[in-house]
Amino acid sequence: MPIFQPASEKEVTRAILSGFAKDLDRYADTEVVVIGGGPSGLMAARDLAKHGVEVVVIERNNYIGGGFWIGGFLMNTITLRAPAQKVLDEIGCPYEEFSKGLFVTPGPHACSKLIAATMDAGAKIQNMTSFEDIVIREDNRVGGVVINWTPVQALPHEITCVDPIALECDLVIDATGHDALVIQSLEKRGLAKRIGEGGMWIERSEDAVVEHTGLAYPGVIVAGMAVCSTYGLPRMGPTFGAMLLSGRRAAEEALKMLKKGVPAAKGAEAKGKPVARKR
Amino acid sequence: MDLRRVYLYKDPSAATLDLAAVAAHVRQVLGVPTSVRKEFLRHHPVADLDETAARIAATRVTDLSRPLVPMDPLPPALALFERRLLETSERRVPGVLYDGFRLQGILRSVLPRAERTLAVAHVAFTSRLPGTFDDADRRYHARAVVLGFPSIVSTSGLVEAPAKPRGFYAAKRSLRIDSADARYEALKQEYAGRFLDWDDPRLTQVAKGYALQAVLHQVTGEPFCDDADCVLFNAHWQEEMLHAQVESGLLCARHRKVAEALRGGRRTRPR
Repeated sequence: MPIFQPASEKEVTRAILSGFAKDLDRYADTEVVVIGGGPSGLMAARDLAKHGVEVVVIERNNYIGGGFWIGGFLMNTITLRAPAQKVLDEIGCPYEEFSKGLFVTPGPHACSKLIAATMDAGAKIQNMTSFEDIVIREDNRVGGVVINWTPVQALPHEITCVDPIALECDLVIDATGHDALVIQSLEKRGLAKRIGEGGMWIERSEDAVVEHTGLAYPGVIVAGMAVCSTYGLPRMGPTFGAMLLSGRRAAEEALKMLKKGVPAAKGAEAKGKPVARKR
Repeated sequence: MDLRRVYLYKDPSAATLDLAAVAAHVRQVLGVPTSVRKEFLRHHPVADLDETAARIAATRVTDLSRPLVPMDPLPPALALFERRLLETSERRVPGVLYDGFRLQGILRSVLPRAERTLAVAHVAFTSRLPGTFDDADRRYHARAVVLGFPSIVSTSGLVEAPAKPRGFYAAKRSLRIDSADARYEALKQEYAGRFLDWDDPRLTQVAKGYALQAVLHQVTGEPFCDDADCVLFNAHWQEEMLHAQVESGLLCARHRKVAEALRGGRRTRPR
């Protein structure tokens, strides 16, 4: 007696295809696209999904979680400072208090719990998919993203001339780490500028990252380490509290905007243009 | 011109700042009617919040080693950040240095004509950290106070600008830590009490002295006092500041006479 039910190869193929196609069809037009599946991007997606927002995370790697699997110096213990441990409580990840206000937990445990919590909340994750460009709408507002398979991008152009596809959305969250890829795309068009690191007076870098999290361009919210590069904040030590709370702040800012209609480019409201995208 | 009125403007991000107590102190010491207003840009609302946000964003210092040349074009992210801060002033502005004189110019520009007179002293408390460029060493320095019209007293500057004890920095260097490192808080504990920290209960006491500095600068034209026991002393070290403002908490004899003259309705300059 076989253990598994019989299924032919073609049925397996059709199951993969129809599941994928259903998801892609749904998320071709969504409320929020998060670029980058690290801790800040996952946190933003989870909080948004918990509030019933349609959200998809685009991750270029096969694995999700970015640097959240590993702490400093390839040692897989994650540190967080209060109050970020409350997020671990929420996602059911155990931790220990190492010293007053400083908490430690195994990276694989925290990361896998956060990924699971994000998906449990209803967010869709599209991995092995790279952000390629932005979709520009009236008044230069960002209205979506252009994506392609990571393997296509990884191969020489002469071999893979594969056109990308686009997703439309109300808001893009740039959670791509130091690269700030979405802001970079705007920069190439002269629409935005990353200040880069340094040149600031800083004593509270984690606070700075969280407080700078928010709309950085009409239609684009920056979160996590992308905030550092966009605003010129110095990088932080191997501690993850700011990444989680920056993701949470990004979701809060997105919710505010979605509730009142996403603000279009400056002046659009005054001109009587609709602020919410037709879907 | 006689000083007729002092206005202190709130910083909603400073939980331990009792501005009513500061106002009472200024009133008592100088005998000038002193009252508390909402934060500066709420009390003097601007017509175009986006434009004001962009003007403030343009005062952000991005290179400490050069006098500020505002970015052109201004990155939209900076203006959007300032816009959020203007809407949520109870949030502290972290890790940003602003050109103090340019920031002061923006505040001055929104004052109503009737109050643009040296008979009125405006002292804007803010969480924004102002800096001024020093030609001597060719770099920006964070400031606790930018005296002028209006004067700016920075609640972040009171924490960040005067240097902490020398040993603090030496230990920070030897540990190779930054402020995001958990050991930073432990290090601060070692030096607890020797510098003003965020939400420090001594903030109101310190603010009293800086409010007097701002008002007396407008009256006398003198920015600071050389007497380390006087609340008008220009402290470069936290320990100097805490000595002048908390341990002493008094004007020196010379500035007491100025205050007495002011209370008596006489205009005078210190001798």
